Amino acid sequence: MSVYKRGYRRYSGPLTGRWARFLVLPRYAWRRLYQQRLVLLLTILAFIWPLLCAGFIYLTNHAELLQGLDRDFREFIQVDGRFFSIFMYVQAGFAVFLAALAGPGLIAPDLANNALPLYFSRPLTRWTYALARLTVLVGMLSIVTWIPGLILFGLQVGLAGGSWFSANWTLGAGMVAGFLMWLLVLSLVAMASSAYVRWKVVAAAVSLAFFFILSGIAEMIDNVLRVRWGHIIDPAWAVNQVWRALLGVEPIEGPGAAASAWALAAIVLLLVVVIERKLRPVEVVS
Amino acid sequence: MNASPVVELENLKVRLGRREILHGITCRLGVSGTGKAVGLLGPNGAGKSTLILTLLGFLRASAGRARILGFDCAHGMGEARSRIGYMPENDAFIGDMTAVAFVRQMAELSGLPPEAALEKAHQVLFHVGLGEARYRELRTYSLGMKQMAKLAQAIVHGPELVVLDEPTNGLDPAARRRMLKLIAEMKNEQGMNVLVCSHLLRDIEQVCDEAVIMKDGAIVHHCNLEEERRSNRSFVELEVTGDDGGLRAALPEIGAEGVPEGLGRWRIVLPPGVEVDAIWRLAGRQNLLVRKLTHRRDTLEEIFLKAMGHIAHTPGEGAASGVAPNVTAS
Repeated sequence: MSVYKRGYRRYSGPLTGRWARFLVLPRYAWRRLYQQRLVLLLTILAFIWPLLCAGFIYLTNHAELLQGLDRDFREFIQVDGRFFSIFMYVQAGFAVFLAALAGPGLIAPDLANNALPLYFSRPLTRWTYALARLTVLVGMLSIVTWIPGLILFGLQVGLAGGSWFSANWTLGAGMVAGFLMWLLVLSLVAMASSAYVRWKVVAAAVSLAFFFILSGIAEMIDNVLRVRWGHIIDPAWAVNQVWRALLGVEPIEGPGAAASAWALAAIVLLLVVVIERKLRPVEVVS
Repeated sequence: MNASPVVELENLKVRLGRREILHGITCRLGVSGTGKAVGLLGPNGAGKSTLILTLLGFLRASAGRARILGFDCAHGMGEARSRIGYMPENDAFIGDMTAVAFVRQMAELSGLPPEAALEKAHQVLFHVGLGEARYRELRTYSLGMKQMAKLAQAIVHGPELVVLDEPTNGLDPAARRRMLKLIAEMKNEQGMNVLVCSHLLRDIEQVCDEAVIMKDGAIVHHCNLEEERRSNRSFVELEVTGDDGGLRAALPEIGAEGVPEGLGRWRIVLPPGVEVDAIWRLAGRQNLLVRKLTHRRDTLEEIFLKAMGHIAHTPGEGAASGVAPNVTAS
C-alpha cells in the first residue's frame, strides 16, 4: 500500500543500540560533507604529494635507476625520519585547509538553525554529539594524513624488506601518533570556531586565522623579547617539534618536544572548554 | 496500565543566572499512558518554557526535583528521551536537508532502525500535510510548513509523551486549526500523552483535558477542564457606550463579575443559572447603550482571569469544583 494511504501509526518495533545511534550523526555528516565540491577537490589534491612520495620510495629502492646520480645525492635521498617528517608537514598543511573548509559545516548550521534542542531532546548527550562531530572530522582528515602515510610506510617495508621494518617501525608508529595529535588539534579548532561564530564562512576564516595569528604572535614574542620560547604558543611549530622527536629528527631550536606537547595539551583543553560552553541546547543570558 | 504521573514536580526551583525563574513548584500532571493532554498556560515570562526545558533536562534545578514519565530530569534522561518527542518554540531545523532526510535522521537518533525510520518519516510527513513537499529543503519552507516539520520530527518515533512549546505560533487560522486537529488526533487516536505550552487560551481549551496556569514562576491554578466545562459557566464579552463607571459595582447585583478593558469593553462572567438577559437589563438600568454582546460558554478564559488576579472569584464558585487538591505553589 502507498505510504500516503497507510496513515500514521506509532512505531512499536525494536530500537537500535547505543552505538548504532552514535553512528547516525557521522553517517549523515559524511554524506553531506562530500557533496561539497571544494572539499572533494581538496581531498583529491591532497593525494598528489603522497603519490610523489610513493614514486620517491620506489626510486630509492631501485638502485639501478640511481646509478648515474652523484653518490652524495644518493645518500641524501633516504627513506628515514626526515623523509616522513617532510611528508607529514606537507600533508598537515592540506589538513589545515580541509579542516577549515569542512569543519564549520558540521556544527555552525546546527547552531545557526537552533537544531541542538532537537538533537539533545533525543538520547544523545552533548559529549556524544561533540564526539560524533569529532569522529567525522578526524575520519575525513585521516584519509589524507596517516592513512596514506601508513601506505607509504607499508610500501617501503615491502620494497626494503623486514630488516628495514625491524630497524624503523618506530617511524610508522610515530607518524600515526603525530598525525592523530595534529588531527585532534585541527578538528577541535574547527569545531570551537564554528561553535563560537555560528556562520560557516566566518568560522572557516577564524579556523585558519587561529593558526596564522598564533604563529604571528609567537614570532613577535621571540623578536621583541629576544627569546626562543615564544614559539610554544604556535601549534604548528609545537606539533612539528613533537613530530621531530617521534621520528628521531634533529629538533628545531627552541622549547623541547615535552614542552611543546604540554603546550598542545593546553590548547586542546582550552578548545574543549570553548566547545563545552557553546554546545548547549539553550543559551542562558544572565 | 502504568498509572504514574507524566510530570511530577517537588518544590522545583530553577535559577537562570542570578534570577530565580521557578519558585518551588510542586504538582503532579497527567497520568502516563492515558492519551490525555495537559496545557501549560500563562502570560509571557510566566516560566512555562523554563519548566519545559527543565523537564527535558536542558536546565538544572537549583532545588527540588522534577520527574518526567517517572524518570528524574537531572539524571537518567537518556532512557526517558527515547520516549519523548519535543517540538521547540523557535525555528529549529537543518536548513540544507530535505524534510524526509531531516525527519529520518531524527527518527534514527531516537533509536529507529534506518529502514523503519525512512518509512515512518514518509508516513508522518504525509500525516502532517507535508507529503508533497517532503523532498524540498527545509529552508525553502514557509513558517507554517516549518511548524509542521517540527511536529513531524517530534512524533516520528511514536513517543509516549509529546512536548509542544507554542505549537501554533505564527500559524494562519487554517494552519492553526490543522495543528490543533493533529494534536487532538495524537492523543485520541495514537494514545500519546501531550504537554502543550501556550499563551493562547483557545488552543489549550480546545485540545487539553487538564490545564495548569502559571504566573511569575509559580503555578497559580490547576484544573480539570472537563469538569470545568461541565460546570457550564457563562462568559460574556460586552461593549457599551455611555458612562460605565458604575457597572463594576452593579454586576454583583446579578451575581456576576467583570473586568473593564477600556473604551466601554467588558469581560463578564455569569454564575450558573443567570441568563444573558440579566446583562441587558443591568445595562438598561445603568443607562448604557449596548453596542455588542457576545455570549459564549467559555471556561478557561474565566479561570485564567481569576488566576491572573483580574477577578476576585468565580461567580457561583461554591457550585463548581475542579481545583486539583495536589497543587501547591509558593
